[in-house]
Amino acid sequence: MLRLAVVLLLAFMTLPTVVVVAVSFNPTAILSFPPAGLSLRWYANVLTYPQFQRAALNSVLVTGMAVALALPAGTLAALALERGRLRGRHVWAALFLSPLVVPGVAAGLGFLILAAALGLLRSRAVLVAAHVALVLPFVVRSVWVSVRNLDPALERAAASLGATPWRAFRRVTLPLLRPGLFAGLLFAVVVSLNEFVVSLFISNRVTEILPVAMFTYVVNYTDPTIAALSSLFIAATFVVVWLADRYLDLGRVFLRR
Amino acid sequence: MSFRLLPAVAVLAVFAAALAALFRWSLLEFVPGSLQPGGLTLANFRAVLAPQYVGAIRDTVVLSALTTVLTLVCAYPVAYALARTASRRVRSLILVLTLAPFFTGAIVRTYAWVLVLGNTVVTWPVPMLFTERGVLVGLVHFSMPTMILILAAALSHIDPVYERAAASLGASPAHVFRRVTLPLSMPGIVSGGLIVFAWTLSAFPTPELLGGGKVKMIANVVKDLGLDSFNWPGAAAFALLALALTLALLTLVGRLSSDRAA
Amino acid sequence: MTTAVVELRGCTRDYGAVRAVDALDLAVHEGEFLALLGPSGCGKTTTLNLVAGFVEPTAGRVLIDGEDVTGRPPHLRGLGVVFQSYALFPHLSVRENVAFGLRERRMAAAEIERRVGDALELVRLEPAGRQRPSELSGGMQQRVALARALVYRPRVLLLDEPLAALDKKLREGMRDELRTIHRSVGITTIFVTHDQAEALGLADRIAVMNRGRIEQLGPPREIYERPATRFVADFIGASTVLRGRAVAADRVVVAGGTLHVGGRALRAGADVELAIRPERLRLVAAAGDNVLDARVEGLVYQGAQTEVTARLGDGQRVLVFVGEPAPVPLAVGQTLRLFLPGEAFMVLDDR
Repeated sequence: MLRLAVVLLLAFMTLPTVVVVAVSFNPTAILSFPPAGLSLRWYANVLTYPQFQRAALNSVLVTGMAVALALPAGTLAALALERGRLRGRHVWAALFLSPLVVPGVAAGLGFLILAAALGLLRSRAVLVAAHVALVLPFVVRSVWVSVRNLDPALERAAASLGATPWRAFRRVTLPLLRPGLFAGLLFAVVVSLNEFVVSLFISNRVTEILPVAMFTYVVNYTDPTIAALSSLFIAATFVVVWLADRYLDLGRVFLRR
Repeated sequence: MSFRLLPAVAVLAVFAAALAALFRWSLLEFVPGSLQPGGLTLANFRAVLAPQYVGAIRDTVVLSALTTVLTLVCAYPVAYALARTASRRVRSLILVLTLAPFFTGAIVRTYAWVLVLGNTVVTWPVPMLFTERGVLVGLVHFSMPTMILILAAALSHIDPVYERAAASLGASPAHVFRRVTLPLSMPGIVSGGLIVFAWTLSAFPTPELLGGGKVKMIANVVKDLGLDSFNWPGAAAFALLALALTLALLTLVGRLSSDRAA
Repeated sequence: MTTAVVELRGCTRDYGAVRAVDALDLAVHEGEFLALLGPSGCGKTTTLNLVAGFVEPTAGRVLIDGEDVTGRPPHLRGLGVVFQSYALFPHLSVRENVAFGLRERRMAAAEIERRVGDALELVRLEPAGRQRPSELSGGMQQRVALARALVYRPRVLLLDEPLAALDKKLREGMRDELRTIHRSVGITTIFVTHDQAEALGLADRIAVMNRGRIEQLGPPREIYERPATRFVADFIGASTVLRGRAVAADRVVVAGGTLHVGGRALRAGADVELAIRPERLRLVAAAGDNVLDARVEGLVYQGAQTEVTARLGDGQRVLVFVGEPAPVPLAVGQTLRLFLPGEAFMVLDDR
């Protein structure tokens, strides 16, 4: 009984993915299922559509810059949260996680108004700033878990053996934080690449990132080009999640066992 | 304050500035046809409750409540299997299938439902796409990964020995579930339910694409006012309404979980 | 007089409102093996951390070789520390762990190689050099931690409950090994423990700590045989404390009987507390000097001996270890005649 329910529910979870992939090989612009044949023309369309090329480049730029800024900032914050002599630790932790709970439309409109006031409506800077804030909670959380699992005696041991605080950080702390940093990086990249709502408010045709370009396409056209692009996204995501599970044991990350 | 906090604090400061701008504009008068606002006013908040918007607020609350209940029911068995399976393989399979949509992003997922609900795969006996039914299906699917993870975390904290103890006392599997497992997983159910409800209240891409302009939730109203009518003050008031509802609910989650800890 | 290797002068350490270490004075001498012994929360680990530099004193000074090191960070103090959890770096092999301190001292690779080999030989772990710490047993990890702390020949070795994580059998083996290593290296050592058997068996001197202060400092035999305070008498070994009244400089009345007490001169008329070890009491047949009657309340058979709890006429409780086989059959409710030798009494300071 339970097993059947679980299988059916997992099928419900996976159904849209399967349909998207199937439709992406549809030979005609009119959607049909199962497809009448196999064709790669929509994949060719994805790769040659100029707006997608521009948006993909924007995605790489924005995500790259946002993650490059958020990773060190979040790591330092996580270290301070666990190790620093900090008053109101819980308040700080809540603050760093707070961008997660602000509805996308509120943050998006806020950044739009702010950008207009600063005359930055045509700039990628606002997009990057917003993405940094949105991925920061994921970095702080992932690294924090790693810091918490770190025996403070290890840093003391390094100090007792003659390592300066910086050397102790380089030789002991940083190598042991690697799983947390990797998980933080993974989350940050995935969240930033998929960010849609906030980006919709603060980008235009020139600066828009891939999800925004896809949204515009879906609203205006009905051919399976988006299915092809989605399939590429899904394939990349599956590889990433599978790798993450293999090397990070996601069960441990999420179930705290 | 530690100097190590400074970079993160700078990031938060920018975020806070955006929210402050939102708050300020919600109190400024909208001048149609102009991006320049007028003087201070409370008119935007009064407009939130105008007849043409009350429907959207009601739909939002009803859809969110239905989504929460349906997601709970659908997520529980999967979460249970995830928390209780002994095989690492099965656990990985469920996790990957659960997390993959979590990682695929809103647009891909919603577009996939446009295909499924739009009579391409099967012909639905009742219209699905661009109806509240369709939006509901999309919202449930969207909320499942979050709910599964929260419930599985709560369930994995329950020692299976309680279930064995109940069985040894003569409880049938159904009774074990109702009298032991379910009550012990209540913390996860409550916080999962509240979090999903809060998230759904400000859902945007799902109702936008699956509702096709016929189903409006609060976030869609914000987008219509802000991006299409350039009524930033009006949009700001609606966005603050969404923010206030979300914060109120999440404060409740925090209050409940700290009560349990005490 | 030679200067102490490690000296604490009036060290106090507060954690918020809690005073972990209270105006502590302590001097550790060259080559000495000193144990800090006490129950958890007595301040012994904080004292060790004050020496190591992980914790700075709220008041007072820390001296190493007569030099004031208060405020100097731990990596500049040149001490060796073995942590309770061992704190072996999980991402480094055994050899790399041992080499860590040498590399921080920018030693030549060949020299590092040689010294690591020597250190691993000292703790008999040469074959395990390439393994990760997590692949070793608890006892082996302990020896790696010791090698890592000794390899750069620190001035002082600090051991924080190093045997606590081991099971009983291993603990005894490691105790002997620690003693052997200390003897062969001759390094000044401070050792924190809550286990009196460890302290009595290993240390040259023991500092018994309670509530952030040193209750008594002295060689193990002195601590065991002449505890200065009731706390020390209670904490070290089993003992019975009897209350009585001195009637002469060497005579105390307890429960109606008169006891001749050796050692220190008492003030007649004063209330005194006498401690006696249960293994010093003997069963006798006839009444006489230093003999009291007691009614048996409980018996715990332990193989080599039986632990007898009995009550004197005035209700005070006495603990007696009777060697097996017992001279008379023991039963609850029976009255025993106990001989309490005068030289076995320890007169406690009145506090």
